Amino acid sequence: MLARVANNLFWMGRYIERAEHVARYLNVNYFSSLDAPNEKSQSRDHVLHSLLFMANGPVEEDYELTEKNAFYDIGLNPEKLFSVLNCIKYARENANGARDLISTELYESINKFYHFVLNYDADFFVSKGLFDFTTQIAESTSIIRAKIRGTLLHDEVYAIIMLGVNIERATQIVRIIQAKYYDALKAQGGYDKKFSKSYEWTTLLKCIEAYDMMRRHYKKTPTSLSTLEFLILNPECPRSVMNSLVQVKNHINVLNEDKYPEKDSAAFLIGKTHAEYRYKTVDTIEGNIESFIEEIQDTLIDIAKKIEKEYFKY
Amino acid sequence: MATTQQSIFASYDKDPKFYDEIFDEKGNVKKVYQTLFDLYSGHSSQDFAKLNDKAKASFFNQGITFQVYTDQEAKEKIFPFDLFPRIIDQKEWDIIERGVLQRSKALNHFIWDIYHDKKIIKQGIVPLDLITSSANYLHQMIGVDPPGGIYNHISGTDLIKHSDGKYYVLEDNIRCPSGVSYVICNRTALKRALFGVFNHYNAHTVTDYAQNLLEIMESVKPRGVDEPNCVVITPGVYNSAYYEHSYLAKSMGVELVEGRDLFVENDFVYMQTIKGPERVDVIYRRIDDAFLDPLEFRPDSALGVPGLFSAYKKGNVCLVNAPGTGFADDKAVYTYMPEIIKYYLGEEPILNNVQTYHCSRPDELKYVLENIDKLVIKPVDEAGGYGISIGNRLTQEEIEKVKKTIQASPRKYIAQPIMSLSVHATYIEESESFESRHVDLRTFCLQGADKEFVLKGGLTRVALKKGNLIVNSSQGGGSKDTWVLKK
Repeated sequence: MLARVANNLFWMGRYIERAEHVARYLNVNYFSSLDAPNEKSQSRDHVLHSLLFMANGPVEEDYELTEKNAFYDIGLNPEKLFSVLNCIKYARENANGARDLISTELYESINKFYHFVLNYDADFFVSKGLFDFTTQIAESTSIIRAKIRGTLLHDEVYAIIMLGVNIERATQIVRIIQAKYYDALKAQGGYDKKFSKSYEWTTLLKCIEAYDMMRRHYKKTPTSLSTLEFLILNPECPRSVMNSLVQVKNHINVLNEDKYPEKDSAAFLIGKTHAEYRYKTVDTIEGNIESFIEEIQDTLIDIAKKIEKEYFKY
Repeated sequence: MATTQQSIFASYDKDPKFYDEIFDEKGNVKKVYQTLFDLYSGHSSQDFAKLNDKAKASFFNQGITFQVYTDQEAKEKIFPFDLFPRIIDQKEWDIIERGVLQRSKALNHFIWDIYHDKKIIKQGIVPLDLITSSANYLHQMIGVDPPGGIYNHISGTDLIKHSDGKYYVLEDNIRCPSGVSYVICNRTALKRALFGVFNHYNAHTVTDYAQNLLEIMESVKPRGVDEPNCVVITPGVYNSAYYEHSYLAKSMGVELVEGRDLFVENDFVYMQTIKGPERVDVIYRRIDDAFLDPLEFRPDSALGVPGLFSAYKKGNVCLVNAPGTGFADDKAVYTYMPEIIKYYLGEEPILNNVQTYHCSRPDELKYVLENIDKLVIKPVDEAGGYGISIGNRLTQEEIEKVKKTIQASPRKYIAQPIMSLSVHATYIEESESFESRHVDLRTFCLQGADKEFVLKGGLTRVALKKGNLIVNSSQGGGSKDTWVLKK
């Protein structure tokens, strides 16, 4: 496979995954805030800040914080690099560059998706279409994932796409944890007055579509400890950081078959990170959430850089 | 039934000046189209409007589009696809197939001769200045032996049916003829939209093109290579034919590369893969000669590969088609095609050339001067449609002027009768009915070191504007699925 095309496939995977997380966060966080049990969680500013933070980062001071502005910028604003629209646009551009390697069916599903987003009525979206739009995004990305899994050879092409998908997934999950962590700090109270029992943990789980399974696993109301353990360390939770690391490790092994990868290779760093998380316990994270977040974000960036250096040079 | 028939063909013009592919002189449907016509008449005009929308959506969703740039933004458009297929019976096809193959072979002999012994010039059959004056003649190709001795692996010959009901060759394209992917898309789209029609006819498949193209490419592998690594090179995703490039690479299962993916070391060509450099042996290039190699041709080319031509000259890589074929498919050489075919193959041409009058020959000059209103006057050494006069569009004054120009330097001019393209039933959105529109036919012919292939089908291009004779997609042309019937 051409190095340039591998780069396209990697980013195609990342942008599709990113679009889905941003859209889902917009959907779940917004709707669950409407009847949140405490005043802060219910306040519009609080939730809009959270949405913009997750999609882009801290909100600038002079930003005119209205629902319509926030929705438009996150969903459909072509001027904002972080908008869902641009994620899908870049996903498709990257798919174009690799069009000869992916299946006709996969290309068609990405292309249809792009036209759906491109032609979505912005006025309708910001006034009435939030649920419809974000739900459609989640469905279309599911279809695309199914086409990736079901119509491509499970060879290097697949491995590269899945590396992109899983590195992005881990990145976005950490991002969502970060956003909800700040929300929980700001909005303590609800069922209980404590941070560890904030309503925001429930919302966090719902944002990752992990609430039901978390309840099945722990049989208790989520706390900061159980939520972080489930979302970061549980390898059986399909969107946990740990699960993503397992996937990344499996897929890098397709590209690098060395039993003992060289110390400066991507495979080595991935193996090392995987091992570290495998033997981590949640109590070491809970007290230092901020430094954990910073550390894992840096590691994920390093992994992506190493993959780029090793495989995408042309 | 009668009323629906009337409605969907109500605006169909029957103009005796043109050859009608569907209706005979008495206005009856021709035998080969009868079944199709009956089946279509069972659909209402609303059915066709719906089918037409569905077919458009299918092309759009598949991303079979090209970009149109306006002031603010780039818009994606589809090539219009027509719901009424063209049918060519076996007898007629047999002539076309043998004819385009004959031309393709003769052109290959001709190019070899011009870049080697130039016998055809020495014997005075083709004038030397015809060749050397062409911008597409490459002195770099003199004495180069391409692998397998093949220059024009891929030829696209354009045919029309004149009012006399005979096929004529309009031109041969042997640089980078495009359009074959649309032949295949059109077939897919028509089958999806009107499967109940397709199964009443026994038409040849068109999906075997890619397999044959790959075999042709493998047949011209460089010496010493067992299993050649074949690739397609494209100018990139923004090229208007990018869909075709990616389709061809995908359907052959080979890599689609850009110039920046390739490099040359010690006169061998490599591509950058995720596992390091990998040698490339045969390149189907969809980049023009001038952009192939900045060291040899245009130095400002960012699309090509520095050193590629040198690797080619050494025989370490094969380019499909060879560089420098362009002098042989221009208008001036076209007029000599009957002589070229006779000279190299010792055969009479199977397909008609449009009758050409050389003003350098006194009796032909006399005819031309007396019949300018019925002729098209073309300078032999100009390309791109410059200096052409169409007789029936000239005023008396202009005719006199043209006459003087010709008499001043008769060697510079040729004249051809004004050809009229045949008409075919074509779905027109505005009237929601079938109307008559002009069509031509592009054929696709492959030749390799040990095999040859003509795609049984082709791209029937149709001018969607009423009365328009220009079928090019840039001028608002569309295309039709083309069925070649089995015996």
